[in-house]
Amino acid sequence: MTSKWFKRQHLVGMLGAVALMTSQATMATGAIGEHVNHLTDNLDNYSQEVNWLNDKVKAMILRYQEGGADEAKPDLLVEHWEAVDFHSAIETNYVPVYASIWQGLFGVKTAMEDNASIEQVREQHDLLEQALWQGLGAVKLAAQYQDKGLTEQVATAQENPTNSLEALDAIDNHLNRVVAKYAEKLPKEAVTIVHDTYLNLFEGVEGELIALDAELVEDLEKDFNVTLPQAIQNDKSVDDVRGVVTMMQGKLDTAASLLEQSAEERKDVF
Amino acid sequence: MQRRTFVQSMAALAAAGALPISLNTVLANPASAVSVESLPELKGELTLYLGRGEGGLYENVIKAIEERNPAFKLRIRRGPTASLTNAILAEAKAGVRRADLFWAVDSGAVGMVTDAGLAQPLPTDLTGQLRDNFQFPDWTPVTGRIRTIPFNTERLTANDIPDDIMALADSDFSIAWAPAYASFQSFVTAMRILKGDTVTADWLRGIDARATKFAGELGVVMAVERGEVDLGLANHYYTLRLKSGKPQANVDLAFTRGDAGCLVNASGIMALTDNELAVNFIRYLLTREVQSYLAEEAYEIPLVDNVAPPAGLPSLDTVSPPEIDLTQLADLRPTVELMRSSGIL
Repeated sequence: MTSKWFKRQHLVGMLGAVALMTSQATMATGAIGEHVNHLTDNLDNYSQEVNWLNDKVKAMILRYQEGGADEAKPDLLVEHWEAVDFHSAIETNYVPVYASIWQGLFGVKTAMEDNASIEQVREQHDLLEQALWQGLGAVKLAAQYQDKGLTEQVATAQENPTNSLEALDAIDNHLNRVVAKYAEKLPKEAVTIVHDTYLNLFEGVEGELIALDAELVEDLEKDFNVTLPQAIQNDKSVDDVRGVVTMMQGKLDTAASLLEQSAEERKDVF
Repeated sequence: MQRRTFVQSMAALAAAGALPISLNTVLANPASAVSVESLPELKGELTLYLGRGEGGLYENVIKAIEERNPAFKLRIRRGPTASLTNAILAEAKAGVRRADLFWAVDSGAVGMVTDAGLAQPLPTDLTGQLRDNFQFPDWTPVTGRIRTIPFNTERLTANDIPDDIMALADSDFSIAWAPAYASFQSFVTAMRILKGDTVTADWLRGIDARATKFAGELGVVMAVERGEVDLGLANHYYTLRLKSGKPQANVDLAFTRGDAGCLVNASGIMALTDNELAVNFIRYLLTREVQSYLAEEAYEIPLVDNVAPPAGLPSLDTVSPPEIDLTQLADLRPTVELMRSSGIL
């Protein structure tokens, strides 16, 4: 028997690992515009915005080269990013890259504020630019996904998981959002997502899972309640936090396999 | 101090295969569970508000009912039980009734809806299938769960644990609890009803002085098993599930006597519209087949007769759940206020 979870994983894989998020997601910077429900119509706009943003960063780097951080005004980076529609398009469609974009933005900003060499600043900009174009690619794929009428089905399943496998899928996405919010320099919001994910999603799964692998549940309990919150609260790097999340996602994959097997072996109701 | 009952070995429990005497007293004179084979085919459409829980096992039951009745369609709105309760109350206030059925994971939520007069009366031949203390005119419990005291078997024996939940506050035990957890708050509500607010507040503060807080009750049981604390406060099935996945786990169950500490609570369903199809849907949930499924897969306690309890159900020979109307547990707000004013939440 092939589960809905595995079907979805396969589909996502085919579309270039576009991890679709619920359209009801809330952004730290405000409400998501209606444009995210019409991605194809807005692709040209998003492409222009990515170019505009890159031009802004390049101009900022030139000012940095000439007059340092005071001249460059790196605080404007966040304002520029939050001004573009592409911001919410990527946040609602591929959170892992969304996190990388924030990481890149703060990489450039911090390098300038720390008076780093121009080479180091350009290195950070390269990472940011790479993340932006990767994000645009993800949104283009998501647009195809949306045009096929599949996004709403996925969003509904994620909003209200009907079984443990769907709940694990939702947890996976929430953990990606944790990295994204941490990369946005919103650690409290990141920790809140960890706690809410534990209480609203993982708690509903672990009762079933503990009968299959108690040690795995103990590991994940510690990850949710200690390891991940502490990594965030102790001001670890975004890559460190992402590393904890990646480790947890590996355990969740193991959990999904166990639950899938258990579902196959479970007796019929009638 | 009287000794408590506790979880025997899984093999011994399986061999016992019967509910304890005192619980049987509470659950006396039940009618026999019916088979799904004797039920009418369901035809038509209903809307069910379904409280989230049990890792999708309720969903499996619903899916099986739909597959068995191809002319039956169920529209489902899912969400936390508390949110759906509020939605039902708000819809009623607005003169709207969208749900035909409400399946809640705890009886407190049921009480809020029945108190508002929104539940339809159920036929006595249906409610009569439930054990005596679980028969209500306008809702029916589906399965039960018992409050327990999981304890670490390397530190304690069952005999060490008081049979009075109130005595725990005066003990030297280190304790794990999950005060924000809905089942715990229903337990505190039962204590308020039985002992009053002042005594309950004193008890909460006494426990808090030596307690470690956890978000959920599985976390409580796991902390007990690891030996981080001596004992905990939790529903029965968390320990059974842990012992299923880890048979050598250092945890067993003890029970108090005749107080909130061994409260038997239940999930419940009600019809919100005067609709024979809704009543017949409820009949499916009380069948021998569904009750067995939830006992075996969710470790919940069947509340109709002739259905085996879950494997690993503790031998509860001396347990006496308190006599309390489960729908009174709806009175959660004063409980939460009391817990806040006592510094617990």
